[in-house]
Amino acid sequence: MEAVAAKLPVAYGERQARAATAFLSPALLVVSIMLVAPLLLVIRFSLNRYDPQELMIEAFTGANYLRFVSDPFYVAVLRTTLGVAFATTVICLLLGLPMAYRLARMTSRWKTFCMLCIVLPLFVSSVVRMVGWMILFAHGGVIDNLARWVTGNGLELMFTPFAVVMGIVSVNLPYVVLTVQSTIETIDPRVEEAAQSLGAAPGRSFWRVVWPLALPGIAIAGILCFILAMNAYATPYLLGGPRFQMMAPLIYQVFTNNNDWPFASAMAIILMATTLVLTAGSSLLIPRRYRG
Amino acid sequence: MRDSWRDRSGRVAVHALVVAGAAVIFVPLVLTLYLSVFDEPLIVFPPHGYTLRWYARILPEFAAPLETSLWTAGVAVIVSLVLGVPAGIGLSRYRFRGRDGVATLLLAPLTIPGVAIGLGIYVLAVMIEERTEMALSGSVLLMVAAHVVITLPWVVRLCLASLANHDRAAEEAAASLGARPLTVIWRVTLPAMRGGIVAGALFAFIWSFENLEMTLFLTAPGVTTLPIAVLSYLQYHIDPLVAAMAVAQVVLVGAVLLILDRQVPVARALA
Repeated sequence: MEAVAAKLPVAYGERQARAATAFLSPALLVVSIMLVAPLLLVIRFSLNRYDPQELMIEAFTGANYLRFVSDPFYVAVLRTTLGVAFATTVICLLLGLPMAYRLARMTSRWKTFCMLCIVLPLFVSSVVRMVGWMILFAHGGVIDNLARWVTGNGLELMFTPFAVVMGIVSVNLPYVVLTVQSTIETIDPRVEEAAQSLGAAPGRSFWRVVWPLALPGIAIAGILCFILAMNAYATPYLLGGPRFQMMAPLIYQVFTNNNDWPFASAMAIILMATTLVLTAGSSLLIPRRYRG
Repeated sequence: MRDSWRDRSGRVAVHALVVAGAAVIFVPLVLTLYLSVFDEPLIVFPPHGYTLRWYARILPEFAAPLETSLWTAGVAVIVSLVLGVPAGIGLSRYRFRGRDGVATLLLAPLTIPGVAIGLGIYVLAVMIEERTEMALSGSVLLMVAAHVVITLPWVVRLCLASLANHDRAAEEAAASLGARPLTVIWRVTLPAMRGGIVAGALFAFIWSFENLEMTLFLTAPGVTTLPIAVLSYLQYHIDPLVAAMAVAQVVLVGAVLLILDRQVPVARALA
């Protein structure tokens, strides 16, 4: 196709370019104004200085970044966020892989129904989905009551790291299942059957055949889950309570309660940069021959 | 003989993981449904009765934010379609330098943290306000414009997908028979994209309706969306009313997805 285009007169290519511009520029214009400009502004603001009276003073300083890395409180919040993100990613992959495999290899008419059940939670706000966990974990909630009935002592899990991790796992798990499922779907089941007919046990045929072929998809699922967990807002806010701090709620708090725009901007940049560096680095963990 | 003890225990472990995963996703939803019919003002086990009266109270309690959410999502979807359908056609038809960059940029709002987008849009609005004295921050206009950015990727993505297997021959035939370029798009390209456009619009609508992180920065007194109203409600009380609200949303989204699944296989559109 490109070879053909190269032989056509120049005017044709020019007309193509003009048509492409006409089709794409309105959307690009809106994204530039409402996404690129705001993000550039956040970068610029992160270099400004905060003043209790004037709020923001134009400057060109790295003081906000320095303050973040030198204050043990903020470093601890970043560490908590990373810890929660890692834990949820590991749990999501552990629970999600078997689910994805089962779904991909399902052939009955229930498959469509099961797929819809996995898709549905993706489109229900994480706020709404936290209601169920709050019923489970709350004082006088389901787990508290069960524990009192069994052991005589109540068990309150609300405002614990465990509650936050479980909440985020339940929000992210459908993404992981869907991503991995679509990858496994592309692997011909006959390849597995071939392995098994040659004497490989089901477990072995999974690890030697499906796992390497699905690895790129699994990596994408893990990265997606990690990004979502790093940016979680509703879950730590509602299940973590006031003392369990993660980055996203803290950025909002610094922005609205303290009115410290420069520092909030710097925190947003630090959060995005940390996520970006780690997700870019994680693709190096996949052996080169398996990279998709 | 091959069905050794190791295989069997492996199969049991896999089965346990599947059950655990399903429980993590669905137990909270089922519990929400259960609580929503409690005839108690708070969570008390066991309740002294069951009632549906909480469902009747949803609308009076959440009418204002619900209205804002519906308006915002509706207008944002229309604007996204106007911008996104041509963008999808452009991306699928033409091969030009920087095409990958353009596609990445248009889809970027799906992966950039909502907190960063919201923060940026708010400070940009305040900057413009200071220079021009337009009342932007806290306005419905700003809210809609911001929601256009996060809904646009869905429209572009699903339009692109619907054109992936589209045969340009039909368009060329129409053009060679004398149809003008716009007529070709209207009579040939758009009908071929119908499924993608419908799916894109519905996903975009739900995406806007459920957005929390970005919208947080754009609310003002009187301009609050439903997820934010629910969030601030939940901060102080967890009761059957908010559970009923949650169930109603799950049921509505489920119904939309069921309708959608007849147009395009929903799960495949996402992956």
